[in-house]
Amino acid sequence: MPGAAIRLQGPRLALLQSAALRQALLIFTAAGLLVLLILLSLRTGPVELTNAQVLQSLWNAITFADIQGQSDWVVRELRLPRTLLAVLIGAGLAAAGAVTQGVFRNPLADPGLIGVASGAALAAVAVIVLKDSLLAFWVVVMGPLALPIAAFLGGLAVTLVIYRLGTRNGQTQVATLLLAGVAINVLTGALTGILTYMADDQALRSMTFWSMGSLAHGRWPEIAALSVCIILPLCFLPRFARLLNALLLGEAVATHLGYRVQQAKLWLIAVAALMVGAGVAVAGMIGFIGLVVPHLLRLLIGPDHRVLLPASVLLGASLLLIADMIARTWLAPADLPVGLVMAVIGGPVFLSLLLQQVKHNRG
Amino acid sequence: MLNVKHLSVNLGSSAGRSSKTLLNDINLHLGYGEKLAVLGANGAGKSTLLKCICGEFSNYQGDIILDHLSLKFWSGAERARQMAVMPQKVELAFPFRVDQVVALGRAPHGDELHSTALQRAAMQCADVWHLRRRNYSGLSGGEQQRVQLARVLAQIWRAEKNADGRELPRYLLLDECTSALDPAHQHSIMQRVGEFAGQGVAVLAVMHDISLAACWADRVLILRHGEVLACGAVELLADAQLLAEAYALDMPLAQRYAQQNMGWMQA
Repeated sequence: MPGAAIRLQGPRLALLQSAALRQALLIFTAAGLLVLLILLSLRTGPVELTNAQVLQSLWNAITFADIQGQSDWVVRELRLPRTLLAVLIGAGLAAAGAVTQGVFRNPLADPGLIGVASGAALAAVAVIVLKDSLLAFWVVVMGPLALPIAAFLGGLAVTLVIYRLGTRNGQTQVATLLLAGVAINVLTGALTGILTYMADDQALRSMTFWSMGSLAHGRWPEIAALSVCIILPLCFLPRFARLLNALLLGEAVATHLGYRVQQAKLWLIAVAALMVGAGVAVAGMIGFIGLVVPHLLRLLIGPDHRVLLPASVLLGASLLLIADMIARTWLAPADLPVGLVMAVIGGPVFLSLLLQQVKHNRG
Repeated sequence: MLNVKHLSVNLGSSAGRSSKTLLNDINLHLGYGEKLAVLGANGAGKSTLLKCICGEFSNYQGDIILDHLSLKFWSGAERARQMAVMPQKVELAFPFRVDQVVALGRAPHGDELHSTALQRAAMQCADVWHLRRRNYSGLSGGEQQRVQLARVLAQIWRAEKNADGRELPRYLLLDECTSALDPAHQHSIMQRVGEFAGQGVAVLAVMHDISLAACWADRVLILRHGEVLACGAVELLADAQLLAEAYALDMPLAQRYAQQNMGWMQA
């Protein structure tokens, strides 16, 4: 009898609590890891520094004290901006990956793979190359946010196109999605190339930067603009965690559970495009973070977005920090594009995911 | 109660060219505690009717009235606290565990963590308590259906109260919810749903299996080509002529079904 069964106060679901414990543990571990990696990243480099020096410089930076000596300058003007850049972009890309995968209901829907990042790159390059001619008004109107906002719009446009192409009745067709992504990557890549050739020799060199991604060009003004475009959307995301969970069961069920699915999907796509666009505008295209991090976390703690989203933010930041440390120390004094390092890490993960999907579709 | 008034659904352009009529002038009344089975051949419009009532499809003419208020004025969240819908098949994008899927049913109430006893009762009711730690995607079709039923039952397990302390009515819509179940589970699950209706829940079930409908429902609504062919007490299912028309059956076959249904009703 259903009515009577309510009154049976059974033991609380022990599993629920142990799972919650595991999730809390993971979040704390990830946060601790991130703090350690930030300190390590500030120490690492051609100039050897001690922990005390790093902490002193951090304190100086927080209190806005004047720069005192060479080591202070190295930390505050070289390493801290770069570290913050890696943290912000890594967090944004991983969160954007988790969100797009939730909306597309597919673990392969990475903003880089489906062409969002390259759309953003195209828009950003267009602003840089055409800022004195065709797009002069845009730069005047938008001021310092001209670049990230343009990249956001480029990324958003590509996401909407891809969504139209790859989704039928709320069901994502994986093959269509990925192939459309390939096509769009080729197209936007070519247009970006043409734009850079229209510009001077200097711009030719930055072509490498856009296609491979690098954290070497971030200074404080860029970081300020970037933090607005990434931290604001991140604050916005927890409100959508429950909806993303419901969306796991399909759009129809999410509607039955009372969510306004179409509206929320547009918001989520826009939020993801903003974070990816802002990252691309400052650091070029860095792929695979949005693919690797949420995938790894789903294996560890399951797909509950209330935990997955914050954990992705922390782990995404950590992963890009690690990749950047490898990038700038491995072949030092040369500074490898961090996108290359990420590709080396991410390629195999992507391949294994792809094989898993193929197996799943056959079985 | 649920009132459907002159409901029509046309797909395609409104100008009339290439437009297809899915539902035409459907009228329906469903009171609290009633068990209504919606029957009809494939493509008769059963699922479309369900989609209109549950708010999934809003491009219809006519009106659907829930508890004296047109469905158009209900917010999704309000509706979800009183109405649960079980679709035919639900596939998961990412691997959730069974208990997590069931907990999603409490999302409209926002008390996933504080209603564990209730979730447990719903899982026991749908006979999936022993599966609670399993991965949903690894279950068989029938087990998945039972998990979905548990989710849906958890969603409206107890009546919400409004500001005056009046219990708000509950609605349960089922879309061929037993299609993948073995006979034993078919009957035990429908019996549990029936007990649920006994608490005053209005139950509307789209059904494929006429005999199951005959032994479960209070009333039946038979659709054909998007129109109401017949609506009335469950005894209608013993009418061979009606069955022959509804499902385009040969008369001898229809008579066999009618006889069989008679047996089910007496059981």
